[in-house]
Amino acid sequence: MSKLLGWYAAFLYAFLHVPLLILIAFSFNSSRFSVWEGASFTWYRAMLNDTQMAEAAWHSVIIAVFSSLLATAIGTAAAYGMWKHKAPLLQGSLYLTLVTPEIVMGISLLALFQWIFRWMPFRLGLGTVIIAHVAFSIAYVAIVITARLRTMDPALEEAALDLGASEWAAFRRVTLPLLAPAMGAAALLALVVSFDDYVITSMVAGVDSETLPMVIYAMARRGVNPVLNAVSSVTVVFFGALILLSERVRAQ
Amino acid sequence: MNLRRWFLLPARAMQVLFFAVPLGIVVVLSVLTRGDYGGAEQPWSSESYRRLFDPLYGLILWRSIWIAALATALCVLLGFPLALYISRAQKYRSLLLQLVILPFWTSFLIRTYAWLFLLRDTGLVNTALLKLGVIHQPLPLLYNDGAVLLGLVYGYLPFMVLPIYAALERMDPSLAEAAADLGAKPLSIVLRVIAPLASAGVLAGSLLVFIPCLGAYLTPDLMGGGRTVMVGNLVQNQFTTARDWPFGSAVSLALMAITALMLALFLRRAPAESP
Amino acid sequence: MNRRIFLLGVATTGCAIDRRPRLNVFNWSNYIARDTISNFEREFGVRVRYSVYESNEEMLAKVMTGNSGWDVVFPTHNRIAPMVRNGLLAPLDHARLPNLPNLAAQFQNPAWDPGLAHSIPYMWNATGIIYNRRIAPPPSQWADLWSPRWQGRLTMLDDAEDVLGACLSKLGLPFDSADAAHLERAKREAIAQKRMVRAYLNAEVRDQLVSGDVLAAQIWSTTAQQAISAAKDLAFVYPTEGFPLYADNAVILRESARAELAHSFLNYLLRPAVAAAIAAEAETATANEAARLLLPASVRESETLYPGAETRKRGVWPRALPGSAIRLRDRIWTEIKSA
Repeated sequence: MSKLLGWYAAFLYAFLHVPLLILIAFSFNSSRFSVWEGASFTWYRAMLNDTQMAEAAWHSVIIAVFSSLLATAIGTAAAYGMWKHKAPLLQGSLYLTLVTPEIVMGISLLALFQWIFRWMPFRLGLGTVIIAHVAFSIAYVAIVITARLRTMDPALEEAALDLGASEWAAFRRVTLPLLAPAMGAAALLALVVSFDDYVITSMVAGVDSETLPMVIYAMARRGVNPVLNAVSSVTVVFFGALILLSERVRAQ
Repeated sequence: MNLRRWFLLPARAMQVLFFAVPLGIVVVLSVLTRGDYGGAEQPWSSESYRRLFDPLYGLILWRSIWIAALATALCVLLGFPLALYISRAQKYRSLLLQLVILPFWTSFLIRTYAWLFLLRDTGLVNTALLKLGVIHQPLPLLYNDGAVLLGLVYGYLPFMVLPIYAALERMDPSLAEAAADLGAKPLSIVLRVIAPLASAGVLAGSLLVFIPCLGAYLTPDLMGGGRTVMVGNLVQNQFTTARDWPFGSAVSLALMAITALMLALFLRRAPAESP
Repeated sequence: MNRRIFLLGVATTGCAIDRRPRLNVFNWSNYIARDTISNFEREFGVRVRYSVYESNEEMLAKVMTGNSGWDVVFPTHNRIAPMVRNGLLAPLDHARLPNLPNLAAQFQNPAWDPGLAHSIPYMWNATGIIYNRRIAPPPSQWADLWSPRWQGRLTMLDDAEDVLGACLSKLGLPFDSADAAHLERAKREAIAQKRMVRAYLNAEVRDQLVSGDVLAAQIWSTTAQQAISAAKDLAFVYPTEGFPLYADNAVILRESARAELAHSFLNYLLRPAVAAAIAAEAETATANEAARLLLPASVRESETLYPGAETRKRGVWPRALPGSAIRLRDRIWTEIKSA
């Protein structure tokens, strides 16, 4: 039985990982067809020469960094606020945010922004994308921080309060340092979720805020393109390394 | 108390401004009429909701539920043995878990594209099969419901494996041992002892898989070739090329209603299990 | 804290580096030459953001809001009147467009925009059928696309007007009919055909035709010419029941704050050398007569791009439809796509 299970597990792991490995492998294929014709960096060079892609990648980075920072701050604060005392409405709405289909979040935010823009002189752009990303990332951060807070002894803070510290001081000097690693993990989660998002971003992005997933999607729609393999490989390897590195750091 | 209020304020403001209010706008949109060239205008009308009951759209909703349910079932069938294997692993457990989570960190879009690359007519699978002489004409592996199902299962399998693993890990191993001592066969042990105890995990995983699959947009779009119209595609379409915001809003709310219903049912069954 | 300030600084410097005026141009995919934009940028000392779309609907969805951020877009001729009605287009100042006379005579005063008040014809094309020569007998009319022999290796355009139009032509009805009964019949035809259709694709089907994934497609003549250049075993035919002719036009959006620069761009596009380069590389029919004369013979005399007089008789320029007709067609299209 165990042996069968072992074989099965191996097969399933292959199913999960082989498509990506093949994608990466063929990004080095000199031919644009699915027949191996020798190794080459052609597509990587083409990718680097693509200014539109470079600009989109830059936008993705800016959006991910800003939204991750904001979401981590807001989400941590919310999780802390909900820690010792219930806030059922907020908690319920955060749950709801998590399970709301992305497309519904996207169109509802689009409807909001277009309505606001009737009275205010703004338009869809980096700002609207960042707002949208923060909106859906808060819930993720809150979950991570809440999980960490569950294992934290409230007596620590109480001791500080007993010794005369203000609530804020107790938070800042006792709880916050203990939360720091979890906040790092949450920030990383928010970063990746933001960088990879397509559905919501595509609804609220403007002319000058095209992101990397949007460029990738447009190319994927046109059919298979080896430059896409190159972009995918870079993204996969980069974030894979980032995650493994952060796990390494956390384990220490 | 004061500090706590301040801490909750930003999140509350965000939820109100960028979750509740937008949904409110969507509700308002759903009872307006479509403008000639897009947008929404007076008069008030329930036409969008009436259209929802048109059998054509009911078919789409039903098809979406069916595909999502099928994808969820497949994830359970495929994911449970894997979770079982990991929970029994003596060493490398953390590595095995990471290998399951790793695809999740990869962009969903890229993972979908990986299958496009493999399955198209001149993709790797067909090229290999043709070269081996197994087939003489490329198989139409893409642009059908099966491809969409494959894409969904591939994308959401990790979401099923992890909750089941978490439930199995918490299970007392001596129960399985006792059953073995009493002479039960391995498969029987799995089915009658382990599976029921892991049901909470299966339920959590099913929720995490079913709901995104129901509202899926990318997978049916890229792997279905615009032919498999699921609810997510319908909504997106109404808000972009079809420019029928009222109808798109009505469909979105119907989708939300089903989602909220699922969530409510789940929370009733297993209140302690949070994702 | 310091890290945040640093990032903020980096971000703002990144945005502030380029102080040149910027023009935002939204065009069809594969509809420009490699260096058209860069030459314009260099000559006028500006930056151009150039993005592409695959259908009028995709462009209109963004532009209809009135604050999309685009300056110049390229609608098809029968979308111009509705856009004018909705106050989306800026009137053109002909004094700023001295290259106007380069246009072919038939485009100087077209029915869809008398006197060229709001638009400049850019390129034009038609819709027909492209097929792989391996298929015998070759298709010659819309009705041939309903044959089960395609076995799913057939695509139709992702365009309500073209698909419904093909169905209407097949039924012997006017291509741009607004009649509800006609459209209902067309809808039934489209739904019946759907089983055999692999996907609804616009220009993106080109790669699949070249690679042989797709054997026949309803296609625009521009895309067809591009595909045929890449793969000699493809051929194009204008259906005998009739076919639509389309002209894509450059327009300036009323929301644009850079009207003068936009005019310079339009005038630049009207230069014979520039238009000829675009027509040659994009392999499309140009509305610019002076440019057409500069084209290599293979493009200038291509039957695909410039159908002969006999063929032209079967062609029709679809007209702009009233709002109610557009709504009806949009709804029918949703039903076809969802079936």
